[in-house]
Amino acid sequence: MGMTITEKIMARNSGREHVVPGELVWTDINTVMTMDYLGKTCFDKFRQLGKTEVFDKDRVICVSDHLVPPPNQKFATMLNEWREVVKNHDITHFYDLGRQGIAHQIMVEQGHVLPGTISIGTDSHANTYGAVGAVGYAIGVTDAAVAMATGKAWFRVPSSVKFHITGQWQPWVMAKDLSLHIMGMMHWNGHLIYKTLEFTGPAIQSLDMAGRMTLCNMTVDLGAKNGIVAPDKITQRYLDGVAKGDWDMIASDEDAEYEAVYEININDLAPTVALPDKLDDTVPVEKVIGTKFNKAFVGTCTNGRLEDLAIMAEILEDQQIHRDVNMIVVPASQTVYLDALKAGYLETLVKAGAAIDTPSCAACAGIHTGVAGDGDIVLSAGNRNMKGRMGSKNAQIYLTSPAVVAASAIRGEITDPRVAS
Amino acid sequence: MIKGKCWVADDYVMAYDIIIQEYWTSPIDAEENSKWVMAGVKEEFNKENGFKDQGFTFIVAAHNFAGGGKSIEHVITGLMGAGIQAVFATSFARLQFRNAINYGLPFVTCDGIADGCSTGDELEYYPDEGEIRNITNGTVFKTVPAAPFIAEVGKAGGLMNYVRDKIAKGEPIE
Ligand code: SF4
Repeated sequence: MGMTITEKIMARNSGREHVVPGELVWTDINTVMTMDYLGKTCFDKFRQLGKTEVFDKDRVICVSDHLVPPPNQKFATMLNEWREVVKNHDITHFYDLGRQGIAHQIMVEQGHVLPGTISIGTDSHANTYGAVGAVGYAIGVTDAAVAMATGKAWFRVPSSVKFHITGQWQPWVMAKDLSLHIMGMMHWNGHLIYKTLEFTGPAIQSLDMAGRMTLCNMTVDLGAKNGIVAPDKITQRYLDGVAKGDWDMIASDEDAEYEAVYEININDLAPTVALPDKLDDTVPVEKVIGTKFNKAFVGTCTNGRLEDLAIMAEILEDQQIHRDVNMIVVPASQTVYLDALKAGYLETLVKAGAAIDTPSCAACAGIHTGVAGDGDIVLSAGNRNMKGRMGSKNAQIYLTSPAVVAASAIRGEITDPRVAS
Repeated sequence: MIKGKCWVADDYVMAYDIIIQEYWTSPIDAEENSKWVMAGVKEEFNKENGFKDQGFTFIVAAHNFAGGGKSIEHVITGLMGAGIQAVFATSFARLQFRNAINYGLPFVTCDGIADGCSTGDELEYYPDEGEIRNITNGTVFKTVPAAPFIAEVGKAGGLMNYVRDKIAKGEPIE
């Protein structure tokens, strides 16, 4: 019996010929990521295991993203402690303020995740790593500490569900729309709990790395264990020059077994919006056209990439954001920031009336930089919209693609980018 | 055998309601985390020691207990600090299921248990037999057996102890 790509990766990294879903295995870990607000605890726990040196200084990746730049004294102090602990352990790759970005973006764009390997992170959206054909698992600080000490983690081999995507990407329709569409179709935390979601088909093969990252990123919000796209030419091009290590073209066997297979044709996929409070309450944009909002937010590990800023710049070129809308745009990393600057996207966005902020998680987790207050109605290209996520419990968050946010910002009400442009 | 009172949760009790946003950046500490555990789940628990003071030993739930994709371990330490010794549910969210195993707090899968219990019922849990007895109404539930590794970690008092022992003895982890 053949294996899926995820099963193969689990087998390969646990020194076995074959694994089956449900099996518990200890696997080798390629890289362990931790970040500012949990990282110190990881190192503390790591030392409690009786170790002083991590398993590989090049493969423990430390990132400042949730708390930077520190908005208050508490976070400033936490960041100082974090810096000290990273320095004390002589970690090679420390992406601190100035070189920072959202950890998941950093992990992929800096080549710390590789096809056929397993990387873990102390944050739920570590699933993003599946975009390059890696297994990316979110874990807690205990698992991170153990992996930092031993280079290993335990996992239950998940069963695989395939999403076979056909059709052509239509103008102004993005991977985010497909994510939200699947969210509405499968229901949040429904049948996909513990599963690995494998995205295949012509529409995936034609999707750029940014789109693949969006798609894999949001699999955690479906309750899945991870999402993955097998490596191909696009992956190869992306990793050329950045990959830190060797890798190969791993793929599922023809006769691999899937718990379920879903076919989606995207020819009719519309820009999609998740209504406030529940991620799986999604509708095609035409159902909410005209809905007024006063805050717009684009950034996060879901949609803060160059391609996202490019489509926004295209829509906002020579346009003005509505006077009743405050828009904050946060590039996902310093690299994205610089690339967007050079390409002129940021100039276009600033001229249109958007505020650009320094790369970080920003208001996504309601911690800082543009948090929502009472009565705010936010149109966001982030990934979570539950009550209180971005700040006030009395704010409403609509989730959608960067294209919808940009087109809507001009009118101050939800707008279909296909009609507006 | 463990004996005590249970609290029956609704479907979809989310991790970020068990530990609300204000405390995500707090230290992971059972005593501290237990003070405000469950604060976002029910108004009556939204005060200091609101949940803890109820004196529950077990939580009984239906689907996707502790879901929503939050990986913070405060959820587990908070429950442990509040005196919870086992959670029984039809299904658990992956991240917290994993954290529970790593801390040695039994998250026990048991189909349909939420329909057979009411808040305040007296339960007896027999881990070796895989049985939960509801003393108040006389029903008995069989639990889904867990992998031996999970019991081993539980016996060691959590993954930290388990791995520390292996490292100290120079034993391979496999
Ligand atoms: S951008 Fe948001 S979802 Fe992504 S890691 Fe940061 S807080 Fe989490």
